[in-house]
Amino acid sequence: MPTGSYLLIGLFLPLFPLSMGFNFVLGKSRSTLLRIVLLLLWPQIGLILLPMLDSPVPGWIIPLALFTAALYALRALALRDVGQWSGFLATSAWALLWIARQGDMPMLQLHLFALGFSAPLVLLTLLGAGLARRFGAAYTGLYGGLAESLPRFSAILVLVVLAIIATPLFPTFFIMLVTVMQAATFMPLLAVGVTLVWLLWSWAGARLLQGFIVGPAGDEAVIDLNRLATGAYALALTLLVASGLYGLGVLL
Amino acid sequence: MEQIILLIPGVPILSALLTHLLGRQMGRRVARLSVIATLLTFGLCVAALWMVIAGHGPQTVSLFGSGALLLLDPLSTLMAVVITGISLVVHVYSLRYMAEEIGYGRFFVLLDLMTATLLLMVTAGDLLTLIITWQLIGVLLYFLLGQNTRDVSAYRYAFWTKITYRIGDLPLLIAAVLLYQAYGTGSLPAIFEQISTDPGPHQVLGWPLMDVVAGLIALAAFARSAQFLLHTWLPYSMSGPTPVSALMHAGIVNAGGFLINRFAPVFVHSSEILHWVFIVGLFTAIIGSVLMLTQNDIKKSLGYSTMGQMGFMIMECGIGAFSLAIYHLIAHGLFKGTLFLGAGNVIHAARGDDGVPKDDLYTFVVERRPIRQRVPWRLMAAMTLAVPIAILVAAHWLVAEDYFQKQSAIVLLFFGWITGAQLIFTIYRMQTRNLRRLITLSIFSFAVVVLGYTLISHAFDLFLYPDPAFREQIYAAADFDLFWFDLLMGLIALVIIFGWLIISFSEQNGHHKSPYRRRLWLSFYALISREFYLTDLYTRFSRVLLAFAGRLNLWLRWI
Repeated sequence: MPTGSYLLIGLFLPLFPLSMGFNFVLGKSRSTLLRIVLLLLWPQIGLILLPMLDSPVPGWIIPLALFTAALYALRALALRDVGQWSGFLATSAWALLWIARQGDMPMLQLHLFALGFSAPLVLLTLLGAGLARRFGAAYTGLYGGLAESLPRFSAILVLVVLAIIATPLFPTFFIMLVTVMQAATFMPLLAVGVTLVWLLWSWAGARLLQGFIVGPAGDEAVIDLNRLATGAYALALTLLVASGLYGLGVLL
Repeated sequence: MEQIILLIPGVPILSALLTHLLGRQMGRRVARLSVIATLLTFGLCVAALWMVIAGHGPQTVSLFGSGALLLLDPLSTLMAVVITGISLVVHVYSLRYMAEEIGYGRFFVLLDLMTATLLLMVTAGDLLTLIITWQLIGVLLYFLLGQNTRDVSAYRYAFWTKITYRIGDLPLLIAAVLLYQAYGTGSLPAIFEQISTDPGPHQVLGWPLMDVVAGLIALAAFARSAQFLLHTWLPYSMSGPTPVSALMHAGIVNAGGFLINRFAPVFVHSSEILHWVFIVGLFTAIIGSVLMLTQNDIKKSLGYSTMGQMGFMIMECGIGAFSLAIYHLIAHGLFKGTLFLGAGNVIHAARGDDGVPKDDLYTFVVERRPIRQRVPWRLMAAMTLAVPIAILVAAHWLVAEDYFQKQSAIVLLFFGWITGAQLIFTIYRMQTRNLRRLITLSIFSFAVVVLGYTLISHAFDLFLYPDPAFREQIYAAADFDLFWFDLLMGLIALVIIFGWLIISFSEQNGHHKSPYRRRLWLSFYALISREFYLTDLYTRFSRVLLAFAGRLNLWLRWI
């Protein structure tokens, strides 16, 4: 049943319009824990199901995957809600796993790539929950000036967003680099497409950050992250950088 | 030597870490730690440059046993000295300038990280280190320009910078991937060695690999060095703190010239790319200079001046004068850094005295001073044309008989001539009470500029590219067909002569214009003062794209 298999896998390794399924489920999940589980497990399920396809990935899937990645990256530009933003960035990133798969990458590495994309999004989900607790919603433009009112929180938020948009030294950067290399191997123009998706991520990330951290602080008194929570986030980010550096070692 | 190579980026990284960790205990004094570290790094860079001058050959060092390489050669050591020198001045200046700003410690941490990243970029000996540092510079600059988190407009323009830099990151990334796939290694010396031996029959989409890679690298350089169509961020990035503007204009924006020099072996084997580089540079130099003249804000005017200078630098690369571009970027970095750091004083002085000179009639009748005069324009015009010819003829007799036939030598002289002509135009606009002294100074300065430009750039050529065969290869790659070369030279000569004729015509007619010409002139002025509507066009484009993204979200029910 190849068609059924494709539909099922296209749901978990997002291909438009099946990609809307994940964002629908994520949008309906109110629990932070459930959202984290979804972000971590969703692409892994897709990758586990991938061997169901006995034949090689057909050619039309790759342009569709790139289209999905570009579509969600573009749509993320206009988003103001952190939860939706995480979902769209996740969809955009996971769709690129198809391109990495086309380059005959080992399955274990693909699982690690999916985890690499998901991990910083999990941190953003936690930060989003923190914002919702403090302000009632994690929404850009509602309350700016977090750099002044919540300096520790802002610093962590900046680093997490940088990790998501594949800034160097975070694992996402090396994953994107490998994906561009894979794409260039079998279709140089595809590599250009992947880099354009990357460019859109940077734009979306900058818009998200500017909506939160820039501007004068609001009047309401809010409590910043405590030292323990800051330390925990810093540790998680250090682990991400360390795994990025490990990836650098592998690449070199 | 190996320890020095590792310490050069290591010291500022350590300084950033310590500045962050000790900020709470030491308060504002922590910035002094950062200054001392930068001074130490500067000393290390000078030592490394000295060693290279003393004859220590190019050396690569593996970073902690990994495949990441640091390369110490004439180009990297020279650039490292420039970067740390400018960074040191900016650090010292910022001690007091930033004292009342919020995020004082964070500023020095970012400054140290930027210094370290720039040093890693210029010493990068492999593709991966180069693209990582190339991208990180854009990220760090974004946060440095947005140092004042209260200022929404500063972040807006910092974003323009970041997105343009990201546009420039991508061609470099693709070029790196293509080179890696073709030659199977990321080490720059190894790749260049293979290219020099035999670039191979590699092709990308039917084009020769060297052309594609050279074109992509040129694109990356254009974005970093604010070439036309990718320049709009530069004059608007002035909302950031002045020390950051100084660092950016003196150090970061010059990276395009460095990149082209670093990949010189690739450009040597490309066919038409350097000609395109020349055209883009020429166009940018003209547009930047014209836009500079219409600005009434000193920092924005300096921004467009940088654009013009970057165009000039890229143009030099396009004509094969690679080492001249390095000399240019160093000289530009030093004077532009000085101008930026002095801009505050100018603004302060302008508040007390507008600096508008008194009318000549007033000074003659009321103050009883002798009237000031201008140097006769015919003399200045003759000087502009005669001095380079005299130098060319002298070189023919004293240096080499075939000097007229060496396109590379003519190129260097040509740039000296253009720079000298600009100087003469500036001197002509001055008025003096001692005409003879001004004329003597003009002749002397013009000769110094033309000779200096030619000789210093030749010295840079010998230092950066000691292999004479390779030097010839660079000029050969940029070689214009003799017809086009002569045409270009003639055209530039005509432009300079035309400039003098306009001056003469204006003086004779007392700057009077017919109504039609006045209207035409005003329309032209409006077009320039609106910066050719490019900023409006980009803003409109991004708004349309954002509206389209929003519309898509609506159609697709936000899922």
